[in-house]
Amino acid sequence: MIVADPKPFGQVKGYLENFERILIVGCGACTTVCLAGGEAEVRLLASGMRIAFGRDGQSKTILEDCVQRQCDVEFVLPVLSRVDNEKIDAVVTIACGVGVNFLADRLGKTPVFPGLNTTFYGAGMEPGLWAEMCAGCGECMTALTGGICPVARCSKHLLNGPCGGSEKGKCEVDPANIDCVWQLIYDRLKRLGRLDDLQNIIAPKDWRTAADGGVRRTIREHLYKLR
Amino acid sequence: MSDKSVMKSGSNLERVLTSGHFAVTCECGPPKGADVEHLQKKIELIRGCVDAANVTDNQTAVVRMSSIAAGAIMVRSGVEPVMQMVTRDRNRIAAQSDIFGAYALGIRNMLCLTGDHQIFGNHPMAKNVFDLDSIQLLDVVRTIRDKGTVNCGDPVEGGIRMFLGAAANPFADPFEFRVIRLAKKIRAGADFIQTQCIYDMGRFREFMKMACDMGLDGQCYILAGLTPLKSAGMAAYMNKNVSGISVPDEIINRIRGVPKGNQAEEGINILLEQIGQVREIRGVAGVHIMAIEWEERIREITERAGFLPRP
Amino acid sequence: MDKESPQISSGDVLSTCSAACPVHTDTREYVQRLSRGDYEGALDVLLEVNPFPSVCGRICHHPCESECRRRAIDEAVSLRMLKRFVVENTKEYRIARRKKPADRKAGTVAVIGSGPSGLTAALDLTLRGYRVRVYEKDSKLGGMLAHAIPRYRLPVEALAEDIEDILASGIEVKTNCRVGTDISFDELRSENEAILIAAGLSESHSLSIPGAESNGVFPGITFLWDIANAMPPEMGDRVLVVGGGNVAIDIARAAKRLGPSKVYLACLETREEMPAWKWETEEAEQEGIEVLNSWGPKAILTENNKVSGIDLKRCTSVFDDQHRFNPRYDESVTTRVEVDNVILAVGQKADLEFLTKTSVAIERGRLLCDRASMSTSERGVFACGEVMTGPGSAIQAIATGHEAARVIAHFLETGEKLKLPQRTITTIGELPAATAARAKRVDRVEVSLADPAERIRDFSPIEPGYSEAEALAESRRCLACASGAQLKFPEHCAGCLTCVRVCPFGVAQVRGTAVMPAQQCQTCGLCAAECPAAAIELSRFDTNRMKDTLRDIVKRQGTSRIARPLVVSYCCLNETTSRKFLWEQTDEEIRQSGIVRVMVPCVGRLSALDLITPFELGADKVAVIACAEKDCFYSGSEELLSRRVTRAKKFLDQIGVGQDNVQLFRTDGNAEECWPLIWEELK
Repeated sequence: MIVADPKPFGQVKGYLENFERILIVGCGACTTVCLAGGEAEVRLLASGMRIAFGRDGQSKTILEDCVQRQCDVEFVLPVLSRVDNEKIDAVVTIACGVGVNFLADRLGKTPVFPGLNTTFYGAGMEPGLWAEMCAGCGECMTALTGGICPVARCSKHLLNGPCGGSEKGKCEVDPANIDCVWQLIYDRLKRLGRLDDLQNIIAPKDWRTAADGGVRRTIREHLYKLR
Repeated sequence: MSDKSVMKSGSNLERVLTSGHFAVTCECGPPKGADVEHLQKKIELIRGCVDAANVTDNQTAVVRMSSIAAGAIMVRSGVEPVMQMVTRDRNRIAAQSDIFGAYALGIRNMLCLTGDHQIFGNHPMAKNVFDLDSIQLLDVVRTIRDKGTVNCGDPVEGGIRMFLGAAANPFADPFEFRVIRLAKKIRAGADFIQTQCIYDMGRFREFMKMACDMGLDGQCYILAGLTPLKSAGMAAYMNKNVSGISVPDEIINRIRGVPKGNQAEEGINILLEQIGQVREIRGVAGVHIMAIEWEERIREITERAGFLPRP
Repeated sequence: MDKESPQISSGDVLSTCSAACPVHTDTREYVQRLSRGDYEGALDVLLEVNPFPSVCGRICHHPCESECRRRAIDEAVSLRMLKRFVVENTKEYRIARRKKPADRKAGTVAVIGSGPSGLTAALDLTLRGYRVRVYEKDSKLGGMLAHAIPRYRLPVEALAEDIEDILASGIEVKTNCRVGTDISFDELRSENEAILIAAGLSESHSLSIPGAESNGVFPGITFLWDIANAMPPEMGDRVLVVGGGNVAIDIARAAKRLGPSKVYLACLETREEMPAWKWETEEAEQEGIEVLNSWGPKAILTENNKVSGIDLKRCTSVFDDQHRFNPRYDESVTTRVEVDNVILAVGQKADLEFLTKTSVAIERGRLLCDRASMSTSERGVFACGEVMTGPGSAIQAIATGHEAARVIAHFLETGEKLKLPQRTITTIGELPAATAARAKRVDRVEVSLADPAERIRDFSPIEPGYSEAEALAESRRCLACASGAQLKFPEHCAGCLTCVRVCPFGVAQVRGTAVMPAQQCQTCGLCAAECPAAAIELSRFDTNRMKDTLRDIVKRQGTSRIARPLVVSYCCLNETTSRKFLWEQTDEEIRQSGIVRVMVPCVGRLSALDLITPFELGADKVAVIACAEKDCFYSGSEELLSRRVTRAKKFLDQIGVGQDNVQLFRTDGNAEECWPLIWEELK
């Protein structure tokens, strides 16, 4: 899933200084799961805004909403109507960046502000901890690396083995928190009896499938342009 | 290396190594600016003491004069550079372009590196590139040199000659992978190897044995990296903070055991002993002396090690 | 769907305690109300299904406790004692809440007998608007409760409370009016649209053994009746009671209080088989009564036409293969006990004299009736209580009274019989062992009975009631089964597993969406507090009331008239030992103190939002007063709460309120002494 972190409160508040009727919209998908953008966070952020603006002597109207997913039209339509009907003059979304864009594309003159910093595609490692697992490069090469991705999980995205900064299984960039993915790959291939795979020189990656090839789209022919 | 009669680059370093001499290289860090005078001073300090000197490429991710420019200045001054190039800061387009430029400016030795992560430098907020890793860079340069094509397959206008080096760190983990990686670098085109600084001689011997067992010593020239310790403080610092380097207690204690004023001297004594030791190790074709900001002692070191005059 | 009990509809999944109760008292609800200090509300719950809570608080055999799910953890909640506490502490309220039926309906009903079943039916029908007259042959109302239960167990006052309350509804009573003698049954029929026979089993069975008619042999019920009416019979120094049921025990213990040096109790059953409640038998033994198990009466011996002893024969089995009462004896094994009196408690029968020469069918001395429609052979003549069911408990009799009232009301409205639907009760089942193992053990609050030597001196009540602190402590042992966390908004659930990860009992699961099986949930509320989708709620807890209170007070009083700082103090309700802080605060109290108390059954339930919202509503500070360290019922709650407070502090810093304005405290000692000190500190 997509992992995101709350932006500093003051930053979000700063976006809103000149608006009166503000809608905070959560997302029931990834950002709920990573405890950053669900219904509970909407309420907390909204309450915080009311308190903070109240202390500044400003009485703004802070409204709350949360949709199942902010990255699909049907789910965001009610938000769009609400913005119109309730004369909302700014929207804060605590979905990932996708939600910000998705709403911004659809909200004519109403500004949309991000309440979160979207960080990575990751997994819940243990309660309260998520870690990056995939970089969305568009050409999965983990078949070569025992299912463990060096593109996402090596600090230098190295494809041919660990740099000199691998020590005791940790990455020198942040030994306390980052595993050397090449140590993980090495250990895994060793367990799989496939250490020989490491001798192959992996050619420079074709980054066209990643964002470097331009903004990406995916089409499923069996549904696309369905009338 | 199999065919010693055909020079790949015609560089002095290649000549020394192919003719069977024990090679000596050192480092010559470019200034953190355009201070050519400063660079010139360093060049003078090492002139005649080494076969070639590495010009670092924004080492530890601290911004310095480019290694191409500094290397070209050395060429002009008559001291042979080993131009370092890291993949951290340039994608394959910039890298190939820079290689052409470097060759055009007379550079004939090149060390292909991935580069230190920018988090350690003075621009930790920078976006890194790492379009290639060091192994892929070696292959890219070798392809240009040997096949006359750039990475995409387009022909190169006018060939280049380059003596290709790579780094090896016998002290990082996973240890067993280190020799595999060395082999990959050699297969990707490394003509010579400079190792990370060696303090743990036992582990280095083990590494070299594994390399020789795989026949790697016959496929490229391995230069043992050595760094003189200026003080007990430096020894402890490197042991603690530099990933992939471990300084045995024995060495730290030995330096700590002499008065502050004599610690540098003791460091050099140790270095000389280390030179003696690596020379005895099978597969070691030379030494790479990384006297960090201590170029003024290179002459003394090489003198005392009996390396002078250079062939 | 037809409501079968005022508190329980047929679709409900009952907690085991409510299911076990013949009237399905909403046990959880009254215990929870008690625990929140709402004793009056608890009484309301009790009275809704049981007009005899004072009686039941004393003598109920409490099947609720026998089925209490807390037994899987340690011991049952002392529910009967809690019930007793409620009625003993709401006497004025009970009088004040009395109501008479709003409108009268056509139709009169005569109820024969004023025992628990008859009075229950009479009350139900009266409250429905019918005119009801109760005919009681004795001078006192209450049937067996008034006459057959010894005072040391059921004081006169307790029964009087219930009966006065019942009569306040407007039931007419005719005491000293024996149907068949003082008024004929047919006359009753002609005067009333319906008749309910609730005559009970007022006569003791006799024994057909030699000497059974001798001087000094007493029928058990008569014996109890005479004692209750202050006419104790002349007795010798040694007494033997025949019988193994609760009545036999009552008789033996009552007899002991009349001063004989030796009281025996002989019964057919082994100790394990005895129908008497185990605790009653034990208490009897403590009082010096000797129980002789597996002995049947062979002959009563006499000397000078007075009882001199009894011969007993070995009983080898009481029940046959079909579990029917069919005792077998080994006549060769006998024993002789020298006694001066024998009291027979070998079962009771109905006195149906008044029905002879009527068309109401009687078969082998028993009233012929259909259990499902509560009716006799005669249209408009119904029956309930022990006369219909045979011997049972007071609460069972009460249950049949309710049923009879339903059937009669239906008859009066439609002229038709009503067959009561067969009830299948779904309960939440036993507490799974795995969950029980993770739950905190908390000792049951026991009261000690008076010293046996003291007890047998007279008929004074032997069991003290709970003090307020004891009752509150015991009420908090209730697991409030099946009232725990629920996925209130399944469409919001992202299946994020937070509930699973914070649940201290390993109960929460994600199967598509979050599932907190009611059978296992311990109601700690951690999942609800942490749910990022705000999709989980506790069925019995929210902080909306606090928000309303705060909003109202700030609006009404204006912030300038309230003492500052205005503090919202969330307090762990479980630490209170009195109602002092459980009473609802007055506006004036809040205005003067600046403290808004919010009592929370475990402050671990408070979400981060709960800690922040008060500031939005005008509060200056938030104090969270948790229980004493390691006192919490829920493992893991303390840590999560303290982390939540830390999070709230950081957030308060970010929003410019300042982290010091939310503080976590622990109760030190009792709440009543500790909390005011904390509030003082906050000033």
